[in-house]
Amino acid sequence: MMKRIGLKYCGGCNPHIERSRFVDELKRKLAGDFSLDVGCSTEKWELGILVCGCPVACADRPETRSLALEWIVVSGQIVDLESISENELATVVALKIKEFFEGRNPHEVA
Amino acid sequence: MPLMTGEQYEESLRKLNMKVYLLGEIVKNPVDHPIIRPSMNSVKLTYSLAQDPQYEDLMTATSHLTGNRVNRFCHLHRSTGDLVSKVKMQRLLGQKSGACFQRCVGMDAINAVDSVTFEMDRKLGTKYHERFNKFLLMMQEQDLTVDGAMTDPKGDRGLPPHKQADPDLFVRIAQRKSDGIIVRGAKAHQTGAINSHWILVMPTMTMAKEDADYAVSFVAPADAAGISYIYGRQSCDTRKLEGSPIDVGNRQYGGHEALMVFDDVFIPWENVLMAGEYEFSGPLVERFAGYHRQSYGGCKVGVGDVLIGAAALAADYNGAMKASHIKDKLIEMMHLNETLYACGIACSAEGNKTASGNYLINMLLANVCKQNVTRFPYEIARLAEDIAGGLMVTMASEKDLKHPEIGKVVEKYFRGVASVPTEHRMRILRLIENITLGTAAVGYRTESMHGAGSPQAQRIMISRQGNLEQKKNLAKELAGIKE
Repeated sequence: MMKRIGLKYCGGCNPHIERSRFVDELKRKLAGDFSLDVGCSTEKWELGILVCGCPVACADRPETRSLALEWIVVSGQIVDLESISENELATVVALKIKEFFEGRNPHEVA
Repeated sequence: MPLMTGEQYEESLRKLNMKVYLLGEIVKNPVDHPIIRPSMNSVKLTYSLAQDPQYEDLMTATSHLTGNRVNRFCHLHRSTGDLVSKVKMQRLLGQKSGACFQRCVGMDAINAVDSVTFEMDRKLGTKYHERFNKFLLMMQEQDLTVDGAMTDPKGDRGLPPHKQADPDLFVRIAQRKSDGIIVRGAKAHQTGAINSHWILVMPTMTMAKEDADYAVSFVAPADAAGISYIYGRQSCDTRKLEGSPIDVGNRQYGGHEALMVFDDVFIPWENVLMAGEYEFSGPLVERFAGYHRQSYGGCKVGVGDVLIGAAALAADYNGAMKASHIKDKLIEMMHLNETLYACGIACSAEGNKTASGNYLINMLLANVCKQNVTRFPYEIARLAEDIAGGLMVTMASEKDLKHPEIGKVVEKYFRGVASVPTEHRMRILRLIENITLGTAAVGYRTESMHGAGSPQAQRIMISRQGNLEQKKNLAKELAGIKE
């Protein structure tokens, strides 16, 4: 069964990266195993990807964090506080997603 | 979710029955009029971007009234985060439109009216805040564009309203009835009036007791009986009628202002938000002006981003990009632009909660923001024109470029670097012309000067808010002066 991952964007006023291109590439790398849910969900996501265009990451707020149990935060050319070049962002995030779910104990899944 | 699409917004305007004059004629269909249409597109953008997940975090907010997602232009700021998001949203819209997108005036008006009506009711026992909340709920549920109307024509600036030769030079209560008021007068420079569903009128300045009838605030449908509009001319406006989109510069977006005339307009009491409570006219004007001065730290910065990009492209197309003075001019443009943004962010981050629960910007910093906005876009525009070169204002028209015979001549002699099509060079120069001298210069330059209050108005506020006595005490302390 395909796992659902949440996706939230910042408002895009200062994009250091092409956010939509990154997401399209990420979707290609995750095809078949994962689906990205854009917008709100009635249930909390196990994992969410916060796509912020710059290091300010202004969308990283408590009300956003409450939408998922865990988050991977892309903030410009940074993933979870680590510098990553733009052309490697999708590869790195896809790997993090797969490692997250592989590391989950099946009994912990809600 | 009560968010209109851009198309729904456009259709909603078609249902209005506004009385609009432009170039001496009544406009039967403002939505499709070629001079007005670009300004409608700019407001439409505020709707369509709110539907896009890539922008909804800035374009939308959660209503404190209903918990629903609403367009941020219909939202009351409930935190300093909201104030910051507002400025960022405005920067985004300035970037996407390169023009004045007009919807800010209404957002700034509702935020000012919210806290002032709350405090007015608390002191005077009036019921204005309840009426305002009903209006706000409707505004949010229907995702309305509201035009905040403040500036009166004012006539003789040396005389108060009640001493003017013509009493209608300030909007006033002409008659009070059991079911409402009759208002008479006009509001000048009304940004986006013809693209609005409703209007929210406020007094233009602090009113004294003798001018109590001029201390009036109300909401009305934009097409209410008795309201008419006279559209303001803009530099190069009739280029939009020539069928040459390249020559317009920014074909898709624009802004507008209009004179809004009230010819004995009836306002039922349920829509009246102030009717003579003159001691609250000053706070309402100050807060609206403060929010609107904050706004310019977003919108003009976004347009500035476009102008900087256009100037850099012009340098590329001219083959001049490697010149150190060109690089330095672009650096200066960015420095000035980001300074304006820094001011917008600062006055937002330093905001504070009011008694009604909504957040007010830091007034000193908002006025500093706008004072800088009265200057820096002029210098940014000057540098853009410097980089673009004189061709910007001597260039042949699109019709010459497309001419079967002389088109080749235009192509040959207006080409910059060989690899860039001449048309691209012409397009970017026309965009710079549009923002610095054309229809968008209304918003980028003169509105930067006078919008949200002319330069002296901010200097008065800076003087009031600057806390000079405290600064003197600091100096005395360090100088060892004991009194």
